Amino acid sequence: MAAALVAEESTKTKPDERSGKYLAFHLGAEEFAIRVLTVREIMGLQEITVVPQTPEYLKGVINLRGRVIPVVDLRLRFGMAQVEYTQRTCIIVAQVQGESDKIPMGIVVDGVSEVLNLASADIEDTPDFGVSLPTPFILGMAKIKGKVNILLDIDRVLTGQELRSVAAAIPGAV
Amino acid sequence: MSMASSQDTPVGEGELRRQVERLAVEVLTGSPAAGELRDAFDQIRSLAQRAGFAQTAAQALALIENLAAAHSPEAVSAGLARLQQVLDSELKPAKASAPVALAQDPELLADFVTEAREHLATIERQMLILEQNPAQVEAVHAVFRGFHTIKGLAGFLDLHTIRDVAHEVETVLDLVRNGQFAVTPALVDVVLAAADYLGQSVRSVEANLAGQPAPAVPGPETLLARVHGLKTTTTAPVEESVSVAAKSSSESEQAVSVRVDTSKLDHLMDMVGEMVIAQSLLVHDPTLTSLNNPRLQRNLSHLTRITGELQRTTMAVRMVPIGQLFQRNARVIRDMSRKAGKPVELEVSGQDTELDRNIVQSLGDPLLHMVRNSMDHGIESPAERARTGKPATGRIRLRASHQSGSILLEIGDDGRGLDREKILRKAVERGLVDSGRNLSDSEVFQLIFEPGFSTAEKVTDVSGRGVGMDVVRRQVQKMRGRIEINSTLGRGTTFLIKLPLTLAIVDGLVIGVGQHRYIMPLFAVREVLKPTPGSVHTLPNGAEMALVRQNLLPLRRLHRRFGVQPRSSDVYQSLLLVLEGQGKCFCLVVDDLIGKQEVVIKSLGEAFKTASGLAGGAILGDGRVGLILDVEGVFGTGSES
Repeated sequence: MAAALVAEESTKTKPDERSGKYLAFHLGAEEFAIRVLTVREIMGLQEITVVPQTPEYLKGVINLRGRVIPVVDLRLRFGMAQVEYTQRTCIIVAQVQGESDKIPMGIVVDGVSEVLNLASADIEDTPDFGVSLPTPFILGMAKIKGKVNILLDIDRVLTGQELRSVAAAIPGAV
Repeated sequence: MSMASSQDTPVGEGELRRQVERLAVEVLTGSPAAGELRDAFDQIRSLAQRAGFAQTAAQALALIENLAAAHSPEAVSAGLARLQQVLDSELKPAKASAPVALAQDPELLADFVTEAREHLATIERQMLILEQNPAQVEAVHAVFRGFHTIKGLAGFLDLHTIRDVAHEVETVLDLVRNGQFAVTPALVDVVLAAADYLGQSVRSVEANLAGQPAPAVPGPETLLARVHGLKTTTTAPVEESVSVAAKSSSESEQAVSVRVDTSKLDHLMDMVGEMVIAQSLLVHDPTLTSLNNPRLQRNLSHLTRITGELQRTTMAVRMVPIGQLFQRNARVIRDMSRKAGKPVELEVSGQDTELDRNIVQSLGDPLLHMVRNSMDHGIESPAERARTGKPATGRIRLRASHQSGSILLEIGDDGRGLDREKILRKAVERGLVDSGRNLSDSEVFQLIFEPGFSTAEKVTDVSGRGVGMDVVRRQVQKMRGRIEINSTLGRGTTFLIKLPLTLAIVDGLVIGVGQHRYIMPLFAVREVLKPTPGSVHTLPNGAEMALVRQNLLPLRRLHRRFGVQPRSSDVYQSLLLVLEGQGKCFCLVVDDLIGKQEVVIKSLGEAFKTASGLAGGAILGDGRVGLILDVEGVFGTGSES
């Protein structure tokens, strides 16, 4: 308890660099959020051209106003069950750190919820699961309006070398 | 320890300068006692010696001696002035070789690099003109202007070495301009050497900018000595060969242009491509066409015209004349010709032919290679030429022209020509062909492009050509081009390279496999046919082949290669594409032929760099992305599951 108070105290004096605006979206029952600054646009689902012999989560490529950009299915990336795409399914186009430059990349999510304005006080670290679950692509957890949002570092989600299944890290996410 | 002192010249240099200046002020304002002066001079002497400025030290010593002889303020101040001069002249090279100051605006430096390059290219071109025709006053002016501008820019950016070299050359050129100095081969050599040196320095600046290790640039001393040498050796003014005629008409040739970032051009291309698609959707919109409104039809066709024009203009923006590439080769030919003692005349035509700058860039090395080969192996020595009754001066031709939507490049020489028998013998020896086969001339000549043919140095001596010709062919094929050889023994060889106008656009066949559509570049397609029953055979290991016009060709099913569902797995219900890549033919099984379309090639990006068999993506007429197939990749390593 005392430790938590101290932690809160320190976040008050030094604003958490994780605070700011986030775009919230959901996959299944779980709410996630990525920084609004990384989001270029949100588009409805469109026909995705499958690129053969690529990992399953790489859905293929789409035409973004004359540019060919890759599309990742975040459910598959996180090892969650595949679902039929619906009316609410959409593609978030985010600027992701590539090998040298920022590149636009499409992310298929079940649906976009809202834009959250998170203060330092709303954000806390991922609870300690013990030893086995390193989750470097998770910035932290946001508790706002009685809901929990998992804050994602989108660069790490999409380019990270080996990705542990989020489904395993967050019980009930599947 | 004493070694180190010569290393840290900047410290000694600053100290020295301060001392001299302080003394100068003292001498001017009051008349210091002889003893004080003596001590001060001695201090300067020892500082100079430690800093490695021998002449300054000597001058200081001379001053001390003069002091002992007769001490007059005038003599002292005159001596001091001389000392300052000597010091300055010794400081200059030391300062110049100090690391280039890059604590400047990187943008300005980048601009400098681009601009300096342009000027150096002009200088080179004009010097070659001048060498042919020393009376070309305009060329002198142009070269002078080039060095002058570089000097100005470099001075502004504190690039002292570049500034100093440019300045020295400019001084010599000024003499030439004024008719006090003749255009001699020696002069041309030195000026070109200076341009090379500047080019090297510019590259080093560029490398510094990019944060890469800069290539070592030697100090300018030797070069400056050569420049100075010019001034002292030929002081005799020219009679009138370069008459002054200081016309300043030169400004007219300044091209009106702006420099644009290529990424902006690419973006423009993308947007125009999208606009063409949007226009096409609009024009073919069923609701609009059913209206049958003449005014609407007129407006729509107007829109079509404008978008078409816009697309062509945008493409044209990326085009650059091939002249600069030819010019680079002109320089190589000149240098090689002088070095090898083979007089060669270069005949260039079609310099204004425009093609995509990407092509011009990737054409640089192959072209250089072929020109070098022509110089090295094609053109004979003057003695040999005399024996065979040819004029002593060899000829090398570089020609470019448009031909039905492609560019035709010609690299020709009037040298030895290819020896069919020798090539054939060598090829048989190396196991590239069977000895019994009857080959046409062009088939034999194509053998020099075989990788095995060029590896051994011996072979090149025998055949005359072959160093890395396989690399040349690969490069040309990468640009979707073809290369052919015409050669007559004893009369010369001509290489013909046919290239597309641009790499950005490819003519393709849209093919269907199940739900998927792919684009096969048309240049790779030899024919499309329906397999006759019984023409496809399967080996015990599962590999398939097809008998097409009496040739057994390896066969691959695209659906298996890509792991997608075909419309029909019966090969006789499908189509065969006969494809050609790297001199070999293959068959590819697809479901349908959907159409022919010109598409703009787009990179799939780093996310798909491991995907084999694909050359890129393209936006199809309906706005969807189609995948462009890579012929070699489709038949290459990919596993058939």
